[in-house]
Amino acid sequence: MATLAQYLKKSATYKIFSALINDIGTFLSTIGQISHAGIRMLKRIFLDGISGKELSVQCERFGVSSLPITLSIVGMTSIIVSSQVANEMVKQGGSGLIGMLMTILTVREVGAIMSGFAITSMIGSSLASELATMRVTEQIDAIDVLGVDSVGHLFIPRVLSGILMMPVIVIIASAFGVILGGIASNIFSGLSYRAYFTSVWLGLFMKDLWVCIIKSAVFGGTIALISCTCGYYAKGGAKGVGIATTKAVVWSFISIVVWDMIFAMLFFF
Amino acid sequence: MSIEVKNLVKSFEDKVIINDISFKVNDGEVLAIVGFSGSGKSTVLKLICGLIPYDSGEIITSEGDIAMVFQYSALFDSLNVFENISFALRERKDLRKLYTEEQLEEIVAQKLELVGLQGIERKYPSELSGGMQKRVSFARAIVTKPNTILYDEPTAGLDPMSSTLIEDYIVSLKHEINAASIVVTHQMSTITRTADRVIMLYDGKIVFEGTPDELLKQDNPYTKQFVTASLEGPMQMKA
Repeated sequence: MATLAQYLKKSATYKIFSALINDIGTFLSTIGQISHAGIRMLKRIFLDGISGKELSVQCERFGVSSLPITLSIVGMTSIIVSSQVANEMVKQGGSGLIGMLMTILTVREVGAIMSGFAITSMIGSSLASELATMRVTEQIDAIDVLGVDSVGHLFIPRVLSGILMMPVIVIIASAFGVILGGIASNIFSGLSYRAYFTSVWLGLFMKDLWVCIIKSAVFGGTIALISCTCGYYAKGGAKGVGIATTKAVVWSFISIVVWDMIFAMLFFF
Repeated sequence: MSIEVKNLVKSFEDKVIINDISFKVNDGEVLAIVGFSGSGKSTVLKLICGLIPYDSGEIITSEGDIAMVFQYSALFDSLNVFENISFALRERKDLRKLYTEEQLEEIVAQKLELVGLQGIERKYPSELSGGMQKRVSFARAIVTKPNTILYDEPTAGLDPMSSTLIEDYIVSLKHEINAASIVVTHQMSTITRTADRVIMLYDGKIVFEGTPDELLKQDNPYTKQFVTASLEGPMQMKA
């Protein structure tokens, strides 16, 4: 019997199931850590308040430093999409709708999603590695021993800056994307700026803007919370920092897509 | 009595790291905890200051703050020396409104003077040597006037002169703030120069308790092996 058990343990099926169960365990444990940190952070906001100075530092980091990369990614995506779409639309006689199409696409999806990915890559990874390094060098332990709640001190300004700055970044990036879409349509399909920008307003509704702002705030908060949590619970040395950073990026990417699907179902179906 | 540990037990997964240990440290007393690597010395400190929860037993400390000097200093590398030392005074809810910026400057300058490092307030930890970082972490630890100070291998990795300086600070702090102190160390000079009493841990249990002189007498097979750094004896290094 023991030999059979040993034999089964060596089988590929056992290893696959074992890895799957481990993954499910890790998944549930990460969900638990994120929820626990989020609740603890909310509690500290009510108990200790918010440090304006630290919040402004993190807002600058979240907003100002990430803006060039976000504008580049959203802008280039708009150029690619408009260059693909504009020619076909002009051929089919739909040139009067290109601006509207680009606006709907950018404001509803491309602006927020691409900014989310850009912010995750730049700020999320940086938050995770920063906190993970603090964890493995005992700096987080030092904060707690000095009588300051480490989750409150580290999470509150970072997560709030994500919630506050992400809508600003997305609105700027979306406007930039729509403008670049017009320029690209003009260059690649000869569409006049007047025709493009006249139709922009046909596709833009207040509901789209509000949903975009709320969705961006949720994305920003989620990216910051996940990244801080992955860093905060890092284990080990340099390898632990790497694992935490990767985990933060992967979880943030997945969360952005899941949130986007939820928002699409809630507001546009 | 400032710290009393009663029947403390701590396990990580299935492995018992601290197995039913008890000891006391009085105000103004320095207790050294010694033992080979992995014997649970640092775990005891983390349990006392509440960084990790214990499975069973009791830890009783007097009212007031517990401070800890970490093995690798654990200074906040994105903050300068002034911000590091004044961190608790600026961020703690019960302290943050008590001091003006000028008072904080004065307090930090006093603490730096105590550890012999005047005028480095605007430097960052990366600009300091290992010994200086350790002294700054001393200053940061005592800024809240704690009545319990825990030192995790305070002289590990330091040159002999820096070690002597740190040992002198431990002794002077004992007299100045009358704190109960626990020093986790491997280093014989730190034990003999700072400790009033010594306990030795092996396999999660206390295998020796006495004064530094009694430790050096090597009456006990464990102390004999520790002092002579012999591979032969009751204590075996574990993988």
